Amino acid sequence: MITRLAGGRIYDPEHGEQGVARDLYVSDGRIVAAPAGGKADHSYDLGGAIVMAGGIDIHSHLAGGKVNLSRLLMADDHRDELMERGALTRSGSGWTTPSSFATGYRYAAMGYTAAFEPAMVPSNARLAHLEMTDLPMVDKGVYLMLGNDELLLQMLAREAPQEQIDDYIAWMMRATAALGIKTVNPGGISAFKSNLRDLDITDTTHGVTPRRVVNALARAVYELGVPHPLHIHCNNLGLPGNIETTLATIAAAEGFPIHLTHAQFHSYGREGDRRFSSAAARLAEAVNRNPHVTLDVGQIMFGQTVTASGDTMAQYRNRAFASPDKWILMDIECDGGCGIVPFRYRDRQFVNALQWAIGLELFLLVEDPWRIFLTTDHPNGGPFPTYPHLLRLLMDRDFRDANFARLHPAAQKASILPTLKREYSLNEVAMMTRAAPARILGLADRGHLGVGAAADVAVYVEDADRERMFTTPKHVFKDGVEVAREGRILATPSGSTHIVRPEGDDAIEGPLRRFFADHMSVGLDHFRLAPAEIEGAGGHLITQACRPRRRA
Amino acid sequence: VATRAITCPFCALACDDLGAAEAGVDTRGCAKAAAGFARDAGRTEHRVRGKPVPLADAVAAAAALLSQARLPLITGAGADLAGIRALIALADRAGAVIDPWQSMVLRRNFAVTQESGALTATFGEVANRADAILLLGGDPAPDYPRVFERLVDNGTPLFRSTPPSLAYLGPAAAAPRRTMAAAIHLDSNRLLDGVAALHAALAGRLPRDADIAGVPAAAFVELGERLSAAHYGAILWDVRNLADDGKAVVATVLRILRHLNRRTRAVGLPLAGSDNALGFVQALLWQTGWPAQVSLAGGAPEHDPWRFDAARLIAAGEIDALLWVAGLSHSPPPATMAPTVALLAPDIALTGEAAVEIRVGVPGLDHPGTLVRADAVVALPLDAVRKTALPSVAAVAQAIVESLGARA
Repeated sequence: MITRLAGGRIYDPEHGEQGVARDLYVSDGRIVAAPAGGKADHSYDLGGAIVMAGGIDIHSHLAGGKVNLSRLLMADDHRDELMERGALTRSGSGWTTPSSFATGYRYAAMGYTAAFEPAMVPSNARLAHLEMTDLPMVDKGVYLMLGNDELLLQMLAREAPQEQIDDYIAWMMRATAALGIKTVNPGGISAFKSNLRDLDITDTTHGVTPRRVVNALARAVYELGVPHPLHIHCNNLGLPGNIETTLATIAAAEGFPIHLTHAQFHSYGREGDRRFSSAAARLAEAVNRNPHVTLDVGQIMFGQTVTASGDTMAQYRNRAFASPDKWILMDIECDGGCGIVPFRYRDRQFVNALQWAIGLELFLLVEDPWRIFLTTDHPNGGPFPTYPHLLRLLMDRDFRDANFARLHPAAQKASILPTLKREYSLNEVAMMTRAAPARILGLADRGHLGVGAAADVAVYVEDADRERMFTTPKHVFKDGVEVAREGRILATPSGSTHIVRPEGDDAIEGPLRRFFADHMSVGLDHFRLAPAEIEGAGGHLITQACRPRRRA
Repeated sequence: VATRAITCPFCALACDDLGAAEAGVDTRGCAKAAAGFARDAGRTEHRVRGKPVPLADAVAAAAALLSQARLPLITGAGADLAGIRALIALADRAGAVIDPWQSMVLRRNFAVTQESGALTATFGEVANRADAILLLGGDPAPDYPRVFERLVDNGTPLFRSTPPSLAYLGPAAAAPRRTMAAAIHLDSNRLLDGVAALHAALAGRLPRDADIAGVPAAAFVELGERLSAAHYGAILWDVRNLADDGKAVVATVLRILRHLNRRTRAVGLPLAGSDNALGFVQALLWQTGWPAQVSLAGGAPEHDPWRFDAARLIAAGEIDALLWVAGLSHSPPPATMAPTVALLAPDIALTGEAAVEIRVGVPGLDHPGTLVRADAVVALPLDAVRKTALPSVAAVAQAIVESLGARA
């Protein structure tokens, strides 16, 4: 069966199409070439609407233990936001950390067709993946958190050769069905368990510096040919002056590709009366100069949310700002941790207001939309349904300036935002939320509308109010099936889980098995998640190719 | 040669070093595991009103019963994660209340997390780091037989150089059978006074001449100093050893832990969740947003610890259908006037007659599955070690959902 999406205007940056008026044809879940004579079995008249590939969220805490703990902690949030079951849909609750089905429906209704969980601790892999089989509508995948796992820290402390580290990373990614590697406060989560309360990138903990962790992991990811570069949550999150740490992290990678996540939280100076200032310009300048560096912003959005992070060291500090006043801290399995602190970001509060401005400064100062991604670090900066509001802030300068005028006066004085006249174009939005995330994740058939691409498509009716436009697409297609129309769910496909299976020398399994037997609380064979466990629970796996660049 | 390591589903420690071989399962000296793996597989007939029927007929009867009910309740204990996911889907479809059996016991822990938070660690952290462990309320070994082997007696810890020092606060009669470096004995109904005194001692607010449940203040001061001096202290309790004021005990323990963490590290490790109750809580959290005591009767998930407590609903006669699940536990359904669909492991004797009786396999024994451990972070794969034709809870629940769909 061939479906025609007729009369739309195509924004497909991967193919240089900016508002090209042409019909799109879909068959068997894929974009296909126009059939002879343009014959189709079914046709949608798009009437000049904007057509983009489905949105891809590169960093969203959507599943796993810390999300479930957040749901538990945010009881009021779940009481206030209810979703009734429908003929096709399951019931749900929650706004800041919605239940799994609600998460999928909301992403799809907003035109997103993929979202990636960025912080899975190794020991939680089985449970997180099984949870994601109950997250429908979107494709998904996980980044495995390493860099606080005691095994890697020991290897680095005894100066194990890089080949061994590569083998270990490859083994771990296969064992946990990961798509990428993330490091969170490298070394710091482990150090906090030993009662260190702060750790800068050149400090030593257990014989290792965060600098060394970053370098080894960035290099391993590169050598194994994992498409997504090392995803880095730097040391010193949230601290005034942490821009120095962030810039030192770029240097630590020594040219290996890296992705700096929720960069807004890592772009702080220490200037001004209040010893807290924007360093967005410095980070943007460094990113503009270093083509191997990408970033997502982690914009904060005013209102109630909850912060859920692997960074126990930072979250223990942040407990002082908990609103409401309750928080969770957990040390996890000699491989990570999690800290959960509710936050209410307020525009009349100096620090929050400046954080908001810093995020927008980053968006507007980083020049290459292929290297900057739209995130709120859901839910840490704000819940993902606020994306359309954020898009309007980026695309509509008057709207941005009007919001800026409501900020705490001292924050207004401390930001250069009003001098930044840039407005994102539809083409740039398509890059930042579709084409570029697909490229940086190695999803060759997503994020674009070329022949052969998966037919993940969002259709928006042109509207000068970009927030309204991006909140409710007219049509959303997932793998060729219309799944949402004007906010209503029409079909509930389960979505696929994207993974990589990098190759390494399996000889690493000997020492790994010994380490697990001596120290860990599960055996190696039970730690390892079998792909069949995900498939047996209703999941569908797609393996993305790695292109190894290992030395001979 | 033909021995493979398997996971034990019979308590929430989920020990995964048992050996399955042709000759049987090596249960590593655990009597609970030995009894579990020796469970009888004799009762395999499905019945409707006492008469043996094919599974499909029993499923159809269960669907009919649930579809006619105004307020059905799904409860019980003991399904693997797939079974629990399917039961919640069934509850959503049928408009049922769903609640893990005895969730009021679990609530002693999770209500404190909801209201104040938590400060905890997983097994691996306690086993590798804890240099001082305070056991609270009673011996956890009856519920968790290998708890000391798993969490205390790790011979190759990563971080501590000597075995952890153990302390105990709780009733003498329930004291763990271990040598304690310090012990404070008080009645279980005075445990709250005990932890409150410990908190006061840490905060320097306990009068020196105070007497708490017959224990002099100095004992609490000494215990506080012991925890303060530890590099990584752990407070461990079996939630079933707490009394009805258990929630207040847990809340006070959280205050103690917060105090300790100002200067050193300390964590709690609540032990709970046998029969995969924490798998139930986890799946409820992600599917509905609530941990337990959830009603799906109104179309959207509602949580109320009193209204939707399964035991209270049954006792008060507020339900008109009960779906009882006992795939891991030994428990026959509780007495109720409501017609009952009972999903039972093959060794459970029914005292009366259930409207519908469906025999299901035991996960980890009759079929593979997934079990969530007491720390709620780690889930372990379960194997099948014997051959039976019994369906899983997941298969039965899915079949009931399909039958309901066909009726609609």
